[in-house]
Amino acid sequence: MNQEELDMAGLNLNEEAPREIVPEEPPKTPAAIEKLIEEAKAALTAQEQGEKQSLSLVVIGHVDAGKSTLMGRLLYELGRIDEKRRIANERGSSKMGKSSFSWAWELDGTQEERERGITMDIALQTLLTPHRVITILDAPGHKDFIPNMISGASQADSALLVVDAAVGEFEAGFERGGQTREHLLLVRSLGVSQVIVAVNKLDQVEWSKARYEEICELLKPFLLQSGFHPAKTKFVPVAAMEGVNLARAEPVGCPLYQWYKGPTLVDLLDALEPPSRDINAPLRFPISNVFKGQTSGICVSGRVCGGVIVAGESLRIIPGDESATVKAIDSDGDSLPWAGAGSNVNVTLTGVDPISLSVGSVLCRPSHLVPLASTFTAKIIVFDIQVPITAGTSVELFHHSRDVPAAISRLVATLDRSNGTVLKNKPRVLTKNMSAEVEISLRNATYSGPASRVLPIPIEPFSVNKDMGRILIRRGGETIAAGVVLELLA
Amino acid sequence: MKLIGKRIEKDGSGHVTVVPEDDEDMWHLYNLIQEGDRVRASGIRRVQNVSATGSVDSYRIRINLTLAVTRVNWSPSTAPGAESGNAAGSSNSGPTANATVEVTGRVAEENMHVKLGAYHTLAIEANKNVRIEKDAGGWDSIALGRVEESCVPGRGAEVAAIVCGEGTATFCLLSEHMTVVLQRLEIHIPRKISTTSSAHEKGLARFYQSLYQSFLRHVPYSSPTLRAIVIASPGWVRDAVFDYIMSEANRTSNKPLLAARNKFIKVHVNSPHVHSLVEALKSPEIAAQLKETKFAREGMMLDRFFKMLASDEMRAWYGPDHVALAADRGAIGTLLISDELFRSSDAAQRKKYVAIVEDVKQKGGEVLIFSSMHESGQQLNQLTGIAAILTFPLDIEVVEAEEREAKEEEERRKAEENGTSE
Repeated sequence: MNQEELDMAGLNLNEEAPREIVPEEPPKTPAAIEKLIEEAKAALTAQEQGEKQSLSLVVIGHVDAGKSTLMGRLLYELGRIDEKRRIANERGSSKMGKSSFSWAWELDGTQEERERGITMDIALQTLLTPHRVITILDAPGHKDFIPNMISGASQADSALLVVDAAVGEFEAGFERGGQTREHLLLVRSLGVSQVIVAVNKLDQVEWSKARYEEICELLKPFLLQSGFHPAKTKFVPVAAMEGVNLARAEPVGCPLYQWYKGPTLVDLLDALEPPSRDINAPLRFPISNVFKGQTSGICVSGRVCGGVIVAGESLRIIPGDESATVKAIDSDGDSLPWAGAGSNVNVTLTGVDPISLSVGSVLCRPSHLVPLASTFTAKIIVFDIQVPITAGTSVELFHHSRDVPAAISRLVATLDRSNGTVLKNKPRVLTKNMSAEVEISLRNATYSGPASRVLPIPIEPFSVNKDMGRILIRRGGETIAAGVVLELLA
Repeated sequence: MKLIGKRIEKDGSGHVTVVPEDDEDMWHLYNLIQEGDRVRASGIRRVQNVSATGSVDSYRIRINLTLAVTRVNWSPSTAPGAESGNAAGSSNSGPTANATVEVTGRVAEENMHVKLGAYHTLAIEANKNVRIEKDAGGWDSIALGRVEESCVPGRGAEVAAIVCGEGTATFCLLSEHMTVVLQRLEIHIPRKISTTSSAHEKGLARFYQSLYQSFLRHVPYSSPTLRAIVIASPGWVRDAVFDYIMSEANRTSNKPLLAARNKFIKVHVNSPHVHSLVEALKSPEIAAQLKETKFAREGMMLDRFFKMLASDEMRAWYGPDHVALAADRGAIGTLLISDELFRSSDAAQRKKYVAIVEDVKQKGGEVLIFSSMHESGQQLNQLTGIAAILTFPLDIEVVEAEEREAKEEEERRKAEENGTSE
């Protein structure tokens, strides 16, 4: 054999059959982890029949309806805030000249929130009622912070709507552009089906029964129209500042009980139905916050949207090529060996550069990766909008805690709202209350032309994973549509 | 841009010689030069000579070349702004061009170094003559309008805009025809966790600090041509940013920055993304100040179109075919058209759009040619690039039916003609 032949052989150029490309097997989950996952699933199934069922609740309502105050007071009534803490909050708030915010102080933790007396971001707390463990997500009511509110609502299974009973205040929140309406539509589109309506500040209207009933009657048709089943909507009169009708009914002394004989707020919370969890689905953990852990590693928080997450396993971070190891899982200060779908937890990760973790990324198992897409079709319901949607409308797309600029690139068809049949193909515009199939493309944020690439986001069709397939579409500070992902295109 | 010479024949052929000076001029050139034109400009070419003995020597020479254009490329500037903020004196050195236009084609005029038909790519340079020669019909009203517009001295009113949210900021510089994104800043701020943690405050402080640094680097705040500095954000971020910039300026006694205090305008927008720039520009605070600038007019007109679409769908049409039909009926009051459509390599396409524009102008309508380097132009591009506000309502379905009938009539007539002739 001469030198030339040897050289050619070395290059593998003269091989007859093209070599088959063997796709690389995804790394197998180690047996120990596999066992732990099985164990976790069994334990979680048992837990579902157990005593204390857990669920998460988002607190919504118009700005200054008293959401944070109600939660602060409720935490105190249930013994989650001790006397010392309460006095500290009272002192702190009166020092700033905002003594009426002393209850909200507990949840509005940042300096700016306290100075302005307004909630700006989601606050997470845990409540224990006799039969439930409730994770509370206190949402901001101001309309500039709706992105934060959406991030919170996408982590919840039920909602507590707080409305202000004071004359003029309720109306301001409920009319066009008020947050009572928008929040209700948002949580419904994000899959929340149970809602408790707390009619707050009844003390300011002399505990008027007529006012309470007027508000209930105004809200009921809207709730029904938004898709909340009447059996799953409950109303309760409260006064957050005074702590009336929150945890205990005290029939003596308060004029409320002259006409109100119903349950207290805690009674209603205790009766909330936990939704069914899909613990056998592939793991999805959308990250809603990234921060430095107390010890080592980096902490991410969020809600498990399917499957179970166990301590010790190695997870992929999508988008990106990075993996991380779960060092610990904790919820409300308790360390857990695992967490199942529906639970809001903090996960401590090690072996990863913090730069590859960002809000909106999804943790998943290497064997079942979440797909990435920058163009997809979706079935949407258009809300009550003034300016119609045309092809090419620039919008902001909300998916879990992420919001990205996007465009409605194509109007595929308008659909019948009740049965989903196609009414018209390629409509020119979509006007209010229409249902339609559209194509959505993510937009590039720069003007450098088609060369620069649009970064895709992790998203799944609704048929595959309900939580990962819900989207909201906003434009100019107004939610214009909500929908579900049908198919990923690119 | 300076106009050096212009010679246009009656049939629209001829040549124009100009000197581009800044980024904006490069954008004009990109829109002027089309496939098939001949461009003469100076460039550097590597020339190889093979001597009689077979040795090859190659050297670079600067020569003027004339190319028959086959492709034009545009890349916007990404480098920092024309002058950095703290070097106030550097504004005297004149504006510089960072954006580049590359013209590729075959050499159309032979000289002693380069053979006819050899390929070359010219990077158009600032402050050097460029001659553009077009064939008959090439210099239409749009092209000539652009030459005229680009050579008006004294334009160049600029606006700097910072669109920010908690943890994100985008620095943009807006001039008559362009929005340049100078920098995108993203600082991760941990969201609030518990009342005891100060991670959120720390993150915010880090964010403000890097924002201030970028501000100094990118925003030419002391330049006299800079009309306004817009800080747009949802929530209260803009107040915090403004206060931070001013307090830092005070602390470091940055006199030019303190003097620019009244250039700052704070505007509320609904999202921290760049596309809310349009929203910022149509807010009353800014509209009043910048009414006469092109981008403000474009933003307002696009807004009017969308409002019309909402209130009277029959008076707001979009899409090339529909707008052409409306133009046929003389119904167009205002035509919104993107410059991208004129850049089409298909001459017939361009001619069609030019005809629509001329037709509308002749009938007394208003025509706005949007620059696709602005956000409003981008949004118009998304909307097929052409839209019109009509003076009287027209039903699309009816018009389309009419067209169909007319076509059928035509065909029938033709068929009859053919029948009789045979």
